[in-house]
Amino acid sequence: MSVPTTLRCLVRPSVSRHVPRQVAAVVWAAPFSTSSSLAANPPKKKAGTQVASIRSGKKMQLGKFKKKAPGGRTGKAPLPGERKSVRKRIQLSNSNALPVQGLAELTPEYMADKRNAGTVVSLPGTVQDQLRVVEAFKPTQYWGMFRNPSMLVRAETVDLMSRMQQSAEKKQTLKLVVSGDRITGKSMLLLQGMAHGLLNDWIVINIPEAQELTTASTEYAPIPGTNPVQYMQNNYALKLVQAVRKANEKLLTRLTTAYSHPELPQNIPINSTLMQLANSAKEADGAWFVFHALWQELMAKGQGRPPILFTLDGLQHIMKVSDYRSAAFNPIHSHDLALVRLFTDCLAGSYQFPAGGAVLAATSRGNAPRTPSMELALSQREAEQTGAEPPKHDPFSRDYDTRVEASLKNVQVMKVSGVSKLEARAVMEYWAASGLLRKTVDEATVTEKWTVGGHGVLGEMERASLLTMRP
Amino acid sequence: MMASSRPCFTALRGVCQRRTTQWQQPLEQQLQALRITASSRSTSRRCFTTNQPTSESLSIEAAAEVNLDALKQFGSNSRARPVPASPSYFSRIPIFNDSYLALEKLIRTYGNLPTIPTSQVERVAWKTLRDYRQTIGEQVKAGDYGRCVGLVKRLHQIHPKLKPGPVKEALEAFKRDIQPFTNVATPVAVDKFGRAIGVGRRKSSTARAWVVEGNGEVQINGKSLADFFGRVHDRESAVWALHATNRLDKYNVWALADGGGTTGQAEALTLAIAKGLMAHEPALKPALRRAGCVTRDPRRVERKKHGRVKARKMPAWVKR
Repeated sequence: MSVPTTLRCLVRPSVSRHVPRQVAAVVWAAPFSTSSSLAANPPKKKAGTQVASIRSGKKMQLGKFKKKAPGGRTGKAPLPGERKSVRKRIQLSNSNALPVQGLAELTPEYMADKRNAGTVVSLPGTVQDQLRVVEAFKPTQYWGMFRNPSMLVRAETVDLMSRMQQSAEKKQTLKLVVSGDRITGKSMLLLQGMAHGLLNDWIVINIPEAQELTTASTEYAPIPGTNPVQYMQNNYALKLVQAVRKANEKLLTRLTTAYSHPELPQNIPINSTLMQLANSAKEADGAWFVFHALWQELMAKGQGRPPILFTLDGLQHIMKVSDYRSAAFNPIHSHDLALVRLFTDCLAGSYQFPAGGAVLAATSRGNAPRTPSMELALSQREAEQTGAEPPKHDPFSRDYDTRVEASLKNVQVMKVSGVSKLEARAVMEYWAASGLLRKTVDEATVTEKWTVGGHGVLGEMERASLLTMRP
Repeated sequence: MMASSRPCFTALRGVCQRRTTQWQQPLEQQLQALRITASSRSTSRRCFTTNQPTSESLSIEAAAEVNLDALKQFGSNSRARPVPASPSYFSRIPIFNDSYLALEKLIRTYGNLPTIPTSQVERVAWKTLRDYRQTIGEQVKAGDYGRCVGLVKRLHQIHPKLKPGPVKEALEAFKRDIQPFTNVATPVAVDKFGRAIGVGRRKSSTARAWVVEGNGEVQINGKSLADFFGRVHDRESAVWALHATNRLDKYNVWALADGGGTTGQAEALTLAIAKGLMAHEPALKPALRRAGCVTRDPRRVERKKHGRVKARKMPAWVKR
């Protein structure tokens, strides 16, 4: 017969001796606490008193492969915003690349000269800084592979620059949309336009990524007293004013205000410099009004204003209904955002720049929503330019947008495609001189890269010849 | 049971009696025995069945009488014994042996005729061992057949203008029914517009390429090379034939690619462009062959097998 369990109770104490005894120490507790004072300071287990399990540290391995330690990565996690800054970093120089001898430096008239088509030209330091401020350089471009930023002056560049120069001479506004296939150099053409403007003392205003305005990634607020309601984006406006101020410092210190601006919190008396006006945007609050005031001043007639270049990249993003919502939770059309409205009005020709200038927009292929109205309007304009029959609306589609079509009524379209073989040769010689292309640049090599790059699409040529060198 | 087995025994006895008396039979009957008729064979086989033998199965047909007068002309008829027509009659592979001997005889007879070098001999696909076995229905040994084919090849080497008729006839028996070497590819011609069309295949892709003289422009299905192939490697392999021969800046290509994936289409284009290029410049063939643009890669997707996850992959091991 087995011993009943009740008898065993007498032999062994029911409580393990290893459990430490509760120390009845006096624990100070807040007088008004409702929780138990012991809960605040639970008794700590004494190290060493616990008997280690026989199998502690040993585990039976059932699987063939060991499971990784919990947590996985051991490295330090990047700080907030660190990844983005790496992604968006612009590197304009590479000390490992060879300096290219005998490269011409960009001068104010260089790019408008027909004779300079098909040459590579380097950007002067001051212009580099200004372009960096207005965010004309893109992280996807291959600047970081070369010793100094240089660019190819192609036939389209000469065409665009001479059109810009003519419009400034005639005090007219050039309204032009750059469109074309993927990585053909549309953003590059905008950059060249900006470089040209900066060297020729134009005021340069650039919206580097139109999607930042419409994808609901920046703050917005209705502008009081507008009907229909328009929306300002103060944070973005502050960034824009600061970029305009830094890039055009020399001009803005020279120009003086023509109007008083009572809507601004800071009193800017007439005849103070535009720099002072721009400087008044210190915080996001009211930044839109500062930008608006600056714009009004730049539009002032008879004040000796310089030509203006207003550029925007990623046109598709502002030619659709934005991701913002009104107070009634209705979608806001992109053209109801004040800054976007300003640009589209310029593109439509509502503003006459006092000393002429240009409004340039570039479409995007890599990251762009589908905008049937814009596509149709651009193909119509293109057909009108060549004298062909312009395409018509699809009668069964409801995707068209009259506001978009109205804003693109008077634009010129510049189609960018591949470069000619001569231009390809110039740029490949530059690569070879920089030590990035280790081949003799002759007819065969040029044709090979030109063909593989889809008839001279510059980005594809770069991919085909430089990608192996990319870090 | 007993009743049913009795006729069977009688039948067996009948066979035994016939066998035992065979050696005592006169020569005429022995000669008859060699000519085994179908009916007599069937009766002897039936003897071992347990079935009730029917009356017609037991009927034994006598062979025709031997004409003794005809045999007398060979001399003493008491010593004559039947000899099969072929000496190989009692071997396992009589037909093969005969034909081997025939070939050897032909070599002895015509071996001194002038021959031509092996490289100039007309290419013929000879029967494989398996085919030959199937044709003659004998289990020929591989080594024997190899020696036989050696003789065949030696005879085939005789100068075609002097090759005698018997040799030609003997060789016919060893030729494969379908001669792949007689298939000649139709040559690609350059048409009046200067275009040469080449067709290439790889995996399950097909490509047609029209190659014309030009300056290095390539259009595939109406798109440029960069638009059509996202991968730079594919673009390079598509124009590899032109690139390897340094002709990229001398020709334009307008191509249609169909079926399969990107790699397949790119490599089908390699072949297609190479064939078009060879129509323009046939002398480039060795260079193109060295570049790997002439031979069609016959590999296809391997079929999936039952019991496997893919063609070869085995399912994961599961305990119990």
